[in-house]
Amino acid sequence: MATMQDYSNKVTPTWCPGCGHFSILRAIQVAASKLEIPIDKFASITGIGCSGRLSGYLNGYSFHGIHGRSLPIAQGIKMANKELVVIAAGGDGDGFAIGTSHTLHAIRRNLNMTYIVLNNQIYGLTKGHTSPLSDTGLETKSTPFGSMDNPLKPGITALAAGATYLAQGFSGLQDQLIDIIVKGIEHDGFSIINVFSPCVTFNKVNTYQWYRENIKNIDEDSTYDSSNYQAAMNKLIETDGLCSGIIYQKNEPSFLDRLQGKDAKPLTDLNLKISKDEFENLLNKFK
Amino acid sequence: MKKNLTLLIGGIQGEGVVSLGTNLMKTLSNLGYYTYGNRNFSSRIKGGNTTMTISIGVEKQLCSKDGLDIILALDKETIDLFNCKLKPNGLILFDSILSSKDLNYKEDSLIPLPITEIAKDLSAPIIKNTRALGFLGRLMGLEQNELSQSLKEKYHTKGDEIVEKNLKALKESYNYDGDIFNKEEYFLSISEKKSSKAVMMGNEAIGFGALMAGCRFIPSYPITPASEVMEYMGKVLPRYGGAMVQVEDEIAAITMAVGVSYGGVRSMTATSGPGISLMMEGIGLAGITETPVVIADIQRGGPSTGLPTKHEQSDLFAIYYGGHGEYSNIILSPSTVEDCFYDTIRAFNLADKYQCPVFILSDLSLGLSPQTIDDLDYNQVVIDRGKIVIKDELSNIERGTFKRYELTKDGVSPRSFPGIINGGHHVTGIEHNELGLPLEKPENRKNMMEKRLNKTAPLENDESIDIYRTNNGNNTLFLTFGSIFGAIKEAAYLSGKKIDFGAIRMIRPLPKKQLTFLLENYDKIVVVENNYRKQLASIIKEELGYHSKIHSITKYDGTNFTINELVEKIGEWA
Ligand SMILES: Cc1ncc(C[n+]2csc(CCOP(=O)(O)OP(=O)(O)O)c2C)c(N)n1
Ligand code: SF4
Repeated sequence: MATMQDYSNKVTPTWCPGCGHFSILRAIQVAASKLEIPIDKFASITGIGCSGRLSGYLNGYSFHGIHGRSLPIAQGIKMANKELVVIAAGGDGDGFAIGTSHTLHAIRRNLNMTYIVLNNQIYGLTKGHTSPLSDTGLETKSTPFGSMDNPLKPGITALAAGATYLAQGFSGLQDQLIDIIVKGIEHDGFSIINVFSPCVTFNKVNTYQWYRENIKNIDEDSTYDSSNYQAAMNKLIETDGLCSGIIYQKNEPSFLDRLQGKDAKPLTDLNLKISKDEFENLLNKFK
Repeated sequence: MKKNLTLLIGGIQGEGVVSLGTNLMKTLSNLGYYTYGNRNFSSRIKGGNTTMTISIGVEKQLCSKDGLDIILALDKETIDLFNCKLKPNGLILFDSILSSKDLNYKEDSLIPLPITEIAKDLSAPIIKNTRALGFLGRLMGLEQNELSQSLKEKYHTKGDEIVEKNLKALKESYNYDGDIFNKEEYFLSISEKKSSKAVMMGNEAIGFGALMAGCRFIPSYPITPASEVMEYMGKVLPRYGGAMVQVEDEIAAITMAVGVSYGGVRSMTATSGPGISLMMEGIGLAGITETPVVIADIQRGGPSTGLPTKHEQSDLFAIYYGGHGEYSNIILSPSTVEDCFYDTIRAFNLADKYQCPVFILSDLSLGLSPQTIDDLDYNQVVIDRGKIVIKDELSNIERGTFKRYELTKDGVSPRSFPGIINGGHHVTGIEHNELGLPLEKPENRKNMMEKRLNKTAPLENDESIDIYRTNNGNNTLFLTFGSIFGAIKEAAYLSGKKIDFGAIRMIRPLPKKQLTFLLENYDKIVVVENNYRKQLASIIKEELGYHSKIHSITKYDGTNFTINELVEKIGEWA
């Protein structure tokens, strides 16, 4: 039996006490232990930000890359060895400012991996600058007169890009968070999980209290059908994105499935030697 | 009878000029001739004049020749633009739908041929090319069945009907009755039948080399003049279990390649200047995380979009010094298509051996000029993965103790790939300790910097400069890189001066030992390069001094050196 401790490397996080990111780290560790993911096959990849430090606290193979690029690195690792369980994670700036394009294209490629957005609607690591997910009017160091841009809607954006698994969670709602991470990892395709994760130091508006009052829990609505695309869109519009649970899920093949079929060997297992005859054939194509 | 012949085919872009040229080159190469095709095109896809100059000979052809023996014009612009390059006894064959009255050139060299006319009867655009091939083949004294054979090979996948139509068109044009075809003036002579050879571009050779080297994944973003690398690999990789993926941008391309390589699979990407600029941060990530990755840079004119379809060698500073911070990288600079193949294999082996980014620095002329190559040697395909942990090697160590960045004597530490039991570790672009965990302490920083920056030093002793000596007593060495090598070789031969020249095949780390020897033993080294700031010469001066001995010849107008230019320039020094 695996325990959540098996997935911790015992390094003490440098996060501020009370930071929402702690619960996400814990939820990932619990989800991994519930699924008994072999530690040597567990790969976590993060971007840069307070959120980016997360991979540095996980056991297994962990890769802390560059700002906004956790997804291409993670997809590369998954493409190399599709038998790994790959989890990418990063902040809202990482995934929806500098890395937006990778987020959309990773969704389209639909590799079987999980992407967790640690969404505090602000830039924590740079000490309080606005994020594309900050609400209009939010006063930050870079928006002294309040944020003037309209926020991006991560849920609708993900659905529009063709997400095959979209869930949202909240650091203050552990059980559900664990559940949507477990199901996201189990989902055969790209799962994107947007987690509201309060930054207690720099975001004085979107606090635990604020999220508790504003987030609608989808699990409380027994009639909700997460396979209904229209319903998912409606839910996001109705709640202005402030809902938690599995919002949408469907099955579709990944880039690799389409290119090589489901049963293909992982790239790491390929025999690299090309015979002399094969070599001659390849050369003859140029004749 | 001719031993060498230079032919220019010109027409409207998008109408198959390149395909006709390549087909002719393949036919000739099958017969044992050497050919070199120089494409000249603009950024437009359709419309606009495009040409392909083909140099043909019984000896290796490494560049385009200056004077033209034959022009085959499928549009009027070709004649207007290129008749000035025609040699005194040259011929202009032109499509007879162009009225000869409009063509202001001396009558007796103008030969109208019914290229489109009969092509129309047979109603397929490729027929026009076949017609032209028939005329050219006949003019050069090739056998009809040799031409038919090449058409069969080219079209056999398209069905019998297409093959038949083409053979019919070929027959008609080959047997066309014109005075010009009865002279033997333009017949090619080949003394003995040589073995059939391949026609390849530098970009294809890089792709082929990568495949042979065991690269099984290439994420890439299309860009002229590098796209052929990903296109070739996209075609062949799935057969060997691998994949090419066209990603969203070059940042994704390099970081995904880093991910794949970290995952345990050889990976590369290919791009040109603008892509290199975007990749810099990702390349630095490979540098500090000591992840092997291969990047082919097929240079074009910069900065910004610059001259997207023209030749230049101005990315050297960017990749030599590029990216913020300091880390080791290796720059290989192939100078022929064969080099592109072997150097790509070497690039993968060096990347694994030294665990750092390796560039293959090519250029537009080398990347995109199809040419007849000598047989590639299978025995030189060697795959060496460097220091890696194999499957059960770590089963006895305690989890979490694997030192991915162990401080070793040679600065290189064993890698373990995800999936390997007890090999788990952290990797970060932040300065880290031997375990890979963040650590900012000055002592650790110093150790890690020295580890990463010194590890490629052994390569400084490499003999990476190919030198061609003529021992004529003149004490000047002409040194170049990339496609200029071919032009220098030809110019050296033509100038009659018997000069010494060389191509540098690895620019970083600079082969200091060999260069120092050369600088000690020559009075002058003249560095020939296609950029304004004398980039290679500056790097050599910066690293080794010898300022008064190092001189430069540069050209930065978007075109490669012509042989005549080089003959003249060489004359000024030698
Ligand atoms: C290319 C680049 N630009 C800027 C930065 C500086 N930077 C570091 S983290 C960050 C944003 C952090 O915000 P977010 O991604 O939301 O994560 P959080 O810290 O809130 O968890 C920025 C702008 C960087 N590291 N790299
Ligand atoms: S600054 Fe904000 S996001 Fe960063 S650790 Fe502190 S609370 Fe968390």
